[in-house]
Amino acid sequence: MEYFLNQLVNGLCQGAIYALMAIGYSVIVGVVGMVTFAYGEIMMIGAFGAYYVFQFVGINLPIALLAAFASSFLLGIIVYKLCYERFFNAPRHISLLCTIGFSMLIKNLVQIVFGPETKPVLNIIDNRTFNIPLGGAISIDLKLLQIVVMILVVVLAVTLTLFFNRTRAGVALRAVSQNKDAAYLMGINVKRTAMLGNCIGCGFGGIAGILLAIYYYSISTTTWGGFSMKAFAASVLGGLVDLRMSALGGLCIGIVENLGITISSATFRDVFAFGFLIIMLVLRPQGFASKKGNRV
Amino acid sequence: MSKVKELFNKYQVLAYIVLLALLCVVPFALPKAVYVRYACNILMYATLAGSLNIINGYSGQTCLGQAGFFAIGAYTMGALSTKFGISFWLLLPLAGILAAFVGFLVSLPTLKLKGIYLSIVTLGASEIIRIIAQTWTPVTGGAMGIKQIPYPEMFGLDTFRPKYYYFIFLFIGVIFLFVTKRVLQSRVGRAWISIREDEIAAKSLGVQTSFYKSLNFMYGAFWAGVVGCAYAPFVNYIEASQFSTDTGFNVLAMIVIGGQGTLIGPIVGSTIVTLLTESLRFLESWRYVIYAVLIIAMMWLRPQGIAGASRSILAGGKIKRKKQAAGAEGGATNG
Repeated sequence: MEYFLNQLVNGLCQGAIYALMAIGYSVIVGVVGMVTFAYGEIMMIGAFGAYYVFQFVGINLPIALLAAFASSFLLGIIVYKLCYERFFNAPRHISLLCTIGFSMLIKNLVQIVFGPETKPVLNIIDNRTFNIPLGGAISIDLKLLQIVVMILVVVLAVTLTLFFNRTRAGVALRAVSQNKDAAYLMGINVKRTAMLGNCIGCGFGGIAGILLAIYYYSISTTTWGGFSMKAFAASVLGGLVDLRMSALGGLCIGIVENLGITISSATFRDVFAFGFLIIMLVLRPQGFASKKGNRV
Repeated sequence: MSKVKELFNKYQVLAYIVLLALLCVVPFALPKAVYVRYACNILMYATLAGSLNIINGYSGQTCLGQAGFFAIGAYTMGALSTKFGISFWLLLPLAGILAAFVGFLVSLPTLKLKGIYLSIVTLGASEIIRIIAQTWTPVTGGAMGIKQIPYPEMFGLDTFRPKYYYFIFLFIGVIFLFVTKRVLQSRVGRAWISIREDEIAAKSLGVQTSFYKSLNFMYGAFWAGVVGCAYAPFVNYIEASQFSTDTGFNVLAMIVIGGQGTLIGPIVGSTIVTLLTESLRFLESWRYVIYAVLIIAMMWLRPQGIAGASRSILAGGKIKRKKQAAGAEGGATNG
């Protein structure tokens, strides 16, 4: 029971990171209207940006998060110019294949430039554990890392929601995500706004990337494809464009994964994540979101 | 050009026979065994890319998990031939049928959904298959893989030499092309192409799109399984990392570069990519960068690929039409 509860906490924490990834992904899909398969590599670049801050500036979490956001944001511009801008009116598979090519490009360039070995990310957050008794003999362990990650994710999600609802740029982004032609007629620069949306989504991916690296104490150059698929899966669970529901989808995937590996072995982590996605697609293809439209 | 076509149509059968004869001479004409191995790879990947082209090129769905079906074929051969000693020629169709069955299962959740979901489900399924292959030790050998897969028997020839193994790949490739050509000219093939061009229009004309999409998927998976079955004895040793998503993307790169929606496209792509891989080996990981740049460049310049179906939606749909319209206007003002 205690082990089970601890796994639940782990699942919640990992789910929170997945939720952040999914929010970023949903912003991209919602605003640009096309899916990306380069998201894992975007997260990787964010993680590397923060890693080099840790190397050269020292352990300073706010600056590192900013660097992660900035480096992924800049990469987002390149992705947008290469893979989306030309293909708004083309069949969808073209931009899809473009993003796959881009992800191959970044992955291999990073392996050449930064080296293929896994880099350690240690002692960013104190390795302190709080033991919280829940009455009786049952208690759960809560790491400081997990608390920081969860608080960060909530703060970022609230900030993004405020940005979308309270600022002029946010309103423009929502208009573009609802209907590009109508937004164009209202005098919104659709291409620029779509680029901004893509970059913001990428930036959130970058922050999720460094959080994942901190959570796993390392940055590898090869595992990001799996995370990209989980972001996609979480986003699909939320109906692809609904931010809150995508966050919920991310949490669900995190919990399902971690409870799944308690009843089997850790190698089956991805099997549970994707199995959950496939079952969800059979039962409820529109995701958690209630309305049916908005298929991409 | 039309004259060449006319001539070709007149002597079509003869041309094919001459081509086949030339292909049969290839392994004996090549000076080194290594080159024969490359030729084998080209043939194998041409068929594998062809099977992906059935799905991506002919019905316009985006399948990214061809490595999974390939793995099922390879592991069927690896496990059943080493454990029970079943003949290769029996396992060849069996591997295909198993892969087709898995393809059917994978296509189920996506029949009512649009293409994007199919791509993520196929990618996820391919990862799941790989993980199962890596962990199901009693059957797949786990991380150790399966070693010493017996070579197929073929008229008493030493099939462990690529020189003779070449003919197995050639046989599969020729059968694949022949059957696929017939299928594509039938009602089924026309239904696939109509789905690719406009799914809603196809539906309104009475094409049962979910049935044909599922059939298309199973047919593509079937051939991937067959090629996988032939691949296992060829390399003699299989393990899960050979069937990662990167393998799938490699095959995808072949049809993107070579061309989608034509039978010749995957062959061109397989030849280009395999020769590039082998000749650029000294560049190490830079060659993947070159592939990536090639894929992006192809999408920008010629989305249907070098030898792809130019007069189809694969060639870019509206961008193309806009360009043509602009060209026509320009021509009008000039004239």
